[in-house]
Amino acid sequence: MSTAVSAMRHVRGFDVVRPLSIGMLVFMMLPLVFLPLASIFIFGTSNGLDKFWAALMAPEAIFALKLSMATSFWATVFNVIFGLFAAYVLSRYNFWGRNALIVTISLPTAIPTAVAGFALLLLWGPYGTLGRFLTPNFEIMFTAFAIILANIFVTFPLAFGVIKPVFDTMSRSLEEASATIGATRWQTFWHVTLPSLRGAIVSGALLTFARAVGEFGSTILVSGNLAGRTQTAPLYIFAKFNEGQIEAANAIAIVLALFSFLIFSVLFFARDWLDVD
Amino acid sequence: MVKARETLIPKPVEPAPALVDPPAAASVVGLSKRFGKTSILENISFDVAQGEVLVLLGASGSGKTTILRIIAGLEMPYTGKVILHGKDVTELPARERGVGVIFQAYALFPKMTVEKNIGYGLRIRKRKRKEIKEKVNELLKLVQLEEHRKKYPSQLSGGQQQRVAIARTLAYNPEVLLFDEPFGALDTQTRVHLRREIRALLRKVNVPSIFITHDQEEALELGDRVAVLNQGHIEQLGTPLEIYSHPATEYVATFLGAANLLEATVQNGGLQVGSAHLTAMLDHTQFQDGDCVKIVFRPEDVVLSTSEFVRSGAAKISAGRIEEISFVGAYERLRLRLDRGEECRADETPYYLTTETPESQPTKSIIATRPKPDAAATKLQIGDRVVVAITSFTVLPASKR
Ligand SMILES: Nc1ncnc2c1ncn2[C@@H]1O[C@H](COP(=O)(O)OP(=O)(O)OP(=O)(O)O)[C@@H](O)[C@H]1O
Ligand SMILES: [Mg+2]
Repeated sequence: MSTAVSAMRHVRGFDVVRPLSIGMLVFMMLPLVFLPLASIFIFGTSNGLDKFWAALMAPEAIFALKLSMATSFWATVFNVIFGLFAAYVLSRYNFWGRNALIVTISLPTAIPTAVAGFALLLLWGPYGTLGRFLTPNFEIMFTAFAIILANIFVTFPLAFGVIKPVFDTMSRSLEEASATIGATRWQTFWHVTLPSLRGAIVSGALLTFARAVGEFGSTILVSGNLAGRTQTAPLYIFAKFNEGQIEAANAIAIVLALFSFLIFSVLFFARDWLDVD
Repeated sequence: MVKARETLIPKPVEPAPALVDPPAAASVVGLSKRFGKTSILENISFDVAQGEVLVLLGASGSGKTTILRIIAGLEMPYTGKVILHGKDVTELPARERGVGVIFQAYALFPKMTVEKNIGYGLRIRKRKRKEIKEKVNELLKLVQLEEHRKKYPSQLSGGQQQRVAIARTLAYNPEVLLFDEPFGALDTQTRVHLRREIRALLRKVNVPSIFITHDQEEALELGDRVAVLNQGHIEQLGTPLEIYSHPATEYVATFLGAANLLEATVQNGGLQVGSAHLTAMLDHTQFQDGDCVKIVFRPEDVVLSTSEFVRSGAAKISAGRIEEISFVGAYERLRLRLDRGEECRADETPYYLTTETPESQPTKSIIATRPKPDAAATKLQIGDRVVVAITSFTVLPASKR
């Protein structure tokens, strides 16, 4: 066996395993990743670009995209600020129950998104634990607020997870040096701590945003999926697909796919770039 | 290295002479510190005068950094007070104390250029841009980093980073300077160079400074006074010369360079070392006839002779055989085994001395050094028998603890 392998490895100084294994990797990824992605683009543009453009410019489609961006944006703002704060507290102070808190913060990603949406409904819905006190004066469920809440929930630990390790490895002596020089806590945080977190904040934000834009399972439960009112882009794709309007669904799918591709490229390169001294 | 050439008559062991007047600009009083249940510092007290450099010298883990952090306000003492310029600052947060700390690992801000690092103290004090610029330029010149002003800390050598750290601290005119082993990570040559620079710099800025090191040479060269720290307490505090030539304890004697220790008995107001008698002026309140004591002498205090004749100013203590010879730069270093002398008589030994640990037993092997000319004048070889004499020594009460 081993002789056979080693005999195969080198044919006249040429390493056979190398092209073979690379080829294998690409071949495996083909039906799993490349082809599904490619088919969106192939199908979406097969009827001509003007059809694609028209589908994209439909008022409901534009509304869905805008709603997705807006709700994801606010969820991201909240979770980045919260992640920063939580990472600061949990890496700077040691207290009873600290580890339990860390686990709890990380929990939402482990919960199925449909369960998350359901849980929010049970809490804020018209008959929910808290929601019943709000209705009828104030409605949270089946509004944009509900979508933001759901987004916050499912992306809760993402920014925290990126920022916390940077806090942990950051030398305390920098903050101490700043204090002895005469800086207040806030000045130290602003001038010394934050600059070292730039890369982590940007990648944490992009990660959160990308994840929130694509959220489906919890959104469909809490939003009510009302076209032109509470329908986000992924819900729009699903709705149009159900109605048999494949082109309409496809146009938005292309935008979402390109969008996430963009975000991940930025993520990939921006981190190093931002962390360069 | 400070060289102690004293008369044969040792000074009786006495505390460091009282400070000549200048009022303490910084002092700690009865400082102690605990982490959990373990006591890290016990009853630390000292004063530092305006413009004075006090060196805290001690082995790793002896509590040097902890003392500094308490003075800087980064750690709360368990008991005791920190007084800066007459004001009790024990309860004050770090940023209100006006101390400058040069940290062990520099602690430069990685995302700021050299300029920005140096100007930080003034920027957070909201000084005018022009004033900051002028001060930064002045300091860049002082620490000779003008051409590196736009660089980031990671682009500088260790020595350069250290200088940035010093400039960053000097920028806001701190009232006390604290150095935590600032040369720890540098090579010997750079250390010696920077040490001289700092010495000159500190003379200029005229603030009280506390300087931590575990390098005895650095301590002796930099310090106006040196406090030797051992496991959280001060063993001795005095001028470098006092500490080097009149160590108060065995720990101080052995920590500051090579020291030879021999057991001796107090007899007729002098000392009996083996079969030799040394005249010494001993403090009678501290030493009585029959007491077991130890004498300490440095390798350079040893005089070797191939005849019975010993040069004047030296007192014979024993004969011995040369076991080892090596050359250490400008010196010849010899290890000698002394002929076994009479030890301190056990029947007169008080009870507490008989429980001594083995390592505090006197060694019968000693180290001597001879400068090159001496070595050339009288060539010695391994196995040669010589007469051993000493020119200076200090008497320690034999093991108090
Ligand atoms: N935060 C802490 N918690 C518990 N123990 C500590 C803490 N800081 C220091 N110590 C202990 O206090 C003792 C003294 O530490 P310190 O850092 O003052 O030593 P040092 O003399 O500066 O040593 P070095 O030369 O290695 O820097 C050590 O035994 C150390 O383990
Ligand atoms: Mg230390």
